[in-house]
Amino acid sequence: MRQFFLYGSFFLVVSITNAQTTQDSINQQINGAQRLMSTNVNSGVTIGGYGEITYNQPENENGELDVQRLVLLFGYKFNEQVQFITEVEFEHVKEVFVEQAFVNYNVAENFNIRGGLMLVPMGIINEFHEPTTFNGTERPIVDNVIVPTTWREIGIGINGRFSSIDLGYQAYIFNGFKSSVLDENGEIQGLLKGSNGLRSGRQKGIQSTISSPTFAVKLDYYGILGLRLGLSGYFGQTQSENEINNIEGTQIGIAMIGFDARYTYQRFAARGQFIYTSLSDTDLYNNLTGKELGSSLQGWYIEGAYNLLPLSKKQKLIAFTRVEQYDTHASTAGSLGRNDAYNRMDITTGLSYHIAPGVVVKGDYQFKDNALADNDLNNQLNLGIGVWF
Amino acid sequence: MRAIKNSIVLILGLIFFTLQSFQLPKNIQKKVDKEIKSAFEIELYTLEAIKVSENVNEKLITKITGSNFYKIKQNDSIFGYAFVDKAPSKVAQFDYLVLFDKELIIKKSKVLIYREEYGGEISSNRWLKQFVGKSAIDQLKYGKDIIAISGATISARSMTIAVNNLLKTIEILQNNNTI
Repeated sequence: MRQFFLYGSFFLVVSITNAQTTQDSINQQINGAQRLMSTNVNSGVTIGGYGEITYNQPENENGELDVQRLVLLFGYKFNEQVQFITEVEFEHVKEVFVEQAFVNYNVAENFNIRGGLMLVPMGIINEFHEPTTFNGTERPIVDNVIVPTTWREIGIGINGRFSSIDLGYQAYIFNGFKSSVLDENGEIQGLLKGSNGLRSGRQKGIQSTISSPTFAVKLDYYGILGLRLGLSGYFGQTQSENEINNIEGTQIGIAMIGFDARYTYQRFAARGQFIYTSLSDTDLYNNLTGKELGSSLQGWYIEGAYNLLPLSKKQKLIAFTRVEQYDTHASTAGSLGRNDAYNRMDITTGLSYHIAPGVVVKGDYQFKDNALADNDLNNQLNLGIGVWF
Repeated sequence: MRAIKNSIVLILGLIFFTLQSFQLPKNIQKKVDKEIKSAFEIELYTLEAIKVSENVNEKLITKITGSNFYKIKQNDSIFGYAFVDKAPSKVAQFDYLVLFDKELIIKKSKVLIYREEYGGEISSNRWLKQFVGKSAIDQLKYGKDIIAISGATISARSMTIAVNNLLKTIEILQNNNTI
């Protein structure tokens, strides 16, 4: 026992000496930027980011080269339980957005309270949209016109997991979409429209207006090896500006449900997603605004992918094909007829070449079709570079 | 009489825990003890830190610090081994435990503390079960020998690399007759 104490005090002295040496060397040699760059988690600061540089070339049209998005992530850990995370996004070089900015409070093991500007958990891509995590230069189109990625609003809620049954959960109260505004001439303008559904109504935490809260939940089940299943729901009313709040048709009701699945086995991977959105009072909204908003939006896609390189290689060369069907006029209400141009079927096929984990070069071709007898949609070649660190 | 005996056992046990606890953080120690007790179905045991010389440590892929690799002993017989360390997730680190039987075959692996929003799926017992039965002769490649987890790739790969490095380290230690 005495020996132990002797050893113990020796150990203590050595650690204190060590700690001082480390402290000194840090003060002398590491400046702020280096500290930020260091992977030392104890410093509390983390940085990261992702970016997509794309080239879209439709048939018979000019192409477009774009730094589509560059997102910088900063995180700070105040202590073991409390963390702040923010992502600052540059879209097309010139537009700056805050994509996420929230405080996460890890109250207990597998249970967190979170508040701030957060991603709405719906489908796969809205939460997992870093370019190395999905195939295709562009995100699935279902995750553009049906789920308006990157969909984020200010809110508060809980998330965590039941480890014993392999189930993750998220439940949040969010601010909702803005459906109508008053323009400078004092006339009501509708923001939601037939061609892209809810997309233009995202408030993104920019001086957003709220008249009623909305609710979002997601369950993730990962108890079967290689498979991950998701079930999402989003419910509530849209928001409109204060002056026109009581005018009939300025707000609509939203109920959105999503089901998604991801599967990987060895070199094979598959994923799929189905989203159905029911909108109420769209006839009143359309009468007021003339925006031809559908009364239901629906979309799904399935994708199969195969790594052409053996798994022993560090690099991956993934060949994939994705079939998407989506319709922002899955149904319409009142006197509005369905516009078949919105009833779309797209096939994307191509390659994702992962040079290193976190760096991908993409190339694909998109065949675009709609329900019109003679569609004038141009097929499109896409090339892109994506990074995530 | 029985009560006295029990309390002596309890006191002895407490002393053992006090002896051990200066090496692992308390919360980690508590979780490690719980896992050892359930995996080996034993109540009383001691953890004896494995120490290796600097020369040997230089050759190792995973460094043995004197406070991360332990023999699990009851009296003088070895029941198994416990390895506790941290591995990186995307922006933080998680604590994990690997328990070996006395033949150094993995008996159980467990994520003790996970600290990040994404990737917590690696705590899944069903996923971690894939490591059970592996030993120094096995090569573990993420996605091939260990099935991937969608949406948790970084952490799942990190855990696979950590265990693979540990197994290679054990192979070197065995070749050096250190364990």
